[in-house]
Amino acid sequence: MAETILQTVSLRRTFGPLVAVDQLDLTVEKQQFYGFLGPNGAGKSTTIKMLTGLLRPTGGEVHILGRNLATDSVEIKRRIGVVPEGLSLFERLTGAQLLNFVARMYGLPRATAAERSAELLEFMDLADSADKLVADYSHGMKKKTALAAAVIHGPEILFLDEPFEGVDAIAATTLKRLLQRFIARGGTVFLTSHVLEVVERLCSHIGIIQKGRLVASGSLEELRSGVKIAGHDHSPLTLEEIFLQVVGGARQDAEVLSWL
Amino acid sequence: MVLLLWLRWRLFLNSMRRRGRTAELGFQVLGVLFGVGFMMTTSLGFFAATIGLVRIARADLLDLLLWAIFLVWQLAPILFEGYSPGLSFREIARYPVSFRLYIFLSLVYGLSDPAAITALLWLLSVWLGIVVARPEWAFIAALPLLLFAAFNLLLNRIVIGLFERFQSTRKGRERMVFVMFMLIILINLVQLNASNWAQKRGPRLPPWVGQTITKVREFSPPGAALRGFRDHGFPEVYAFSGLTLYAALAFLLLRRQLRSLHQGEIYAEAYQVHHELKVRKGWTFPLVDEVTAAIMEKELRYIRQSARMMLQIIYPPVIFLLVAFNGVGRKNLFAGRSQALLPGAAVFILLSIPNLSYNIFGMDKEGFGRWLLAPLSLRKVLLAKNLTHGGILCSIYALMAMAVIATTHVPPALVLTVTVAFLAILIIQLSAGNLISVYWPRRIELTQMSSKLSSNAAGLVAMLVFFPLAALVGAVVLAAWYWRLPWLPLLSGAVALVAGVKLHSFLLDRAASYAWEHIEEITGNLGA
Repeated sequence: MAETILQTVSLRRTFGPLVAVDQLDLTVEKQQFYGFLGPNGAGKSTTIKMLTGLLRPTGGEVHILGRNLATDSVEIKRRIGVVPEGLSLFERLTGAQLLNFVARMYGLPRATAAERSAELLEFMDLADSADKLVADYSHGMKKKTALAAAVIHGPEILFLDEPFEGVDAIAATTLKRLLQRFIARGGTVFLTSHVLEVVERLCSHIGIIQKGRLVASGSLEELRSGVKIAGHDHSPLTLEEIFLQVVGGARQDAEVLSWL
Repeated sequence: MVLLLWLRWRLFLNSMRRRGRTAELGFQVLGVLFGVGFMMTTSLGFFAATIGLVRIARADLLDLLLWAIFLVWQLAPILFEGYSPGLSFREIARYPVSFRLYIFLSLVYGLSDPAAITALLWLLSVWLGIVVARPEWAFIAALPLLLFAAFNLLLNRIVIGLFERFQSTRKGRERMVFVMFMLIILINLVQLNASNWAQKRGPRLPPWVGQTITKVREFSPPGAALRGFRDHGFPEVYAFSGLTLYAALAFLLLRRQLRSLHQGEIYAEAYQVHHELKVRKGWTFPLVDEVTAAIMEKELRYIRQSARMMLQIIYPPVIFLLVAFNGVGRKNLFAGRSQALLPGAAVFILLSIPNLSYNIFGMDKEGFGRWLLAPLSLRKVLLAKNLTHGGILCSIYALMAMAVIATTHVPPALVLTVTVAFLAILIIQLSAGNLISVYWPRRIELTQMSSKLSSNAAGLVAMLVFFPLAALVGAVVLAAWYWRLPWLPLLSGAVALVAGVKLHSFLLDRAASYAWEHIEEITGNLGA
């Protein structure tokens, strides 16, 4: 039986009267590449923030690697890697200084921190800009730096919030290479993304959230078998078709923007 | 044009939506009232000065008033950059706006600047003063003054364009803020030493300096504007033609500058690529663990990397040294007593604390989230930051103490007492700083002059902490002198030091738990 790496029980978060996440029960198993999808404002980023300690849940529990996040957060943080929504980078350090610093925050010895920083900078094609302030990096370079910072300590599970947003094709390929390598070596990935093609290609399991509630979850095959579209031929449903069916689909073009 | 004014208004209203901004609205209203009062009072001053100068037949000095208008119009918008809701005028070029309209909008926008409005009011006051004192000059003065205003407007738009170009890169923005602060400090230093210089009789300036100044006054735009109506006959026509030439030249330059912007010129920051990758090992510090050392290294790099922060730390000791080793300053501030120098040095250094430690996460900004993601408590982060800031201030104190001891006789008992008291107050201030940092965090923008290093509330609390401490120190010194108890200051200092360490530990826990309970609020304020 597969080992459960991440489990949430009735996770809830409210902002005043707004219920951002409601009774969320998620289960992610070891070596799964879990794609967490949903329309804008569905609660994806709020969920990932609660899973990584950036936001306190209003209710419910989060268990990661068999430990309760509320009581064992430091030990959990030591074993997870995160690329948060705003990247959370100390932008007035150079790329090399930042990675070195993050590695040491996770308790890596100084020599190992320097070695891994150099390796990651090379891998991410950032070696030429290693001495430049992160503040002067392009968006794609910052994303790659954030991913390097997330993996430098060798985490067991990675949480990535929109890792492919605003990233060019070359940088995206680098990120995908790194993530596939991470999974192959026994890691687990939990990511949110709007790019359904990427999720369809990379993720083994998918969860769809809408208005704070989990409305679909399972492997792509399980979702395909669970979703029926009237009039659709026998070809396998794409993730986009499944997603639109589950979250309610788009309005008919004829009804809107008549002047366009 | 209406759209442009609406945009400026909307930017202002939207800036009020931010948390905490509404509370500062009151200060802003007071600021506006103060600004209007300043405009009216100074305009009256210009009006009265003009009448006075014309009536005593010294109209030749009117160009000094025009020089003041010229300098304020050209320099004030740059000095006060960031104090008003900003709009990069380059953005307007994105919209379907013809080049003629673009020039027109640029000029209208320039006229809506508070500095331009003030300068125009002053110019109007000068003209009204002329009308009152010499009614026959009313018409003949109006034309050159109008042309002078047009020239100023055109030149100001060119200057702002160049400024925007400089501001379009991060390095340029930071350098500009640094230069501005250096200018402010330079003015302070000149003020500090003015009385000292005044007592010394310096060598007379060579005659060519005076002749050059006269020529500049004569042929500069303010001088040409004055001669445009003061002189009669041909000189008047020449001066007017000269002023027209200035305005035409400014128009052509502005047209050229705006043309390239309208066509989509983009300013980019180039950087040198380093091909050799070498990641050095992190720093270590005695008596602290690896993680704390990493945080301290980050803090030190941040401070070293920010010229403005360095300036804030170095400024008080530099001022102290200038005062302490300057006869007049020492006499005024320390009553000429060398024994007061070491306590004075300690006080000057302690003045840096609010800028350094009362908004401890302000420089981290978006990086604040990294502290939450890392496997460590916020208590450890706060403590490491305190160690860094405390270490910096202690190092400066040690250097200053050595300088004082090397130049004057200070009894060892006094050195010990002052050092213990310095450490006690430092620790108490750092404790207060931790609490204030999490209660009123504020994002620091190093590229904006208007961005303070700590919140308004922090400034107030700093005073509430500093004054009672100063009163306590004063009471102890007075009691020791009155009852002849020379050991009392040292004993009180030692007790305060122990109490300070206890207080620091208690407030550190309090600050860390408050921060954890208010993560969203803090991250919101820091824009993390």
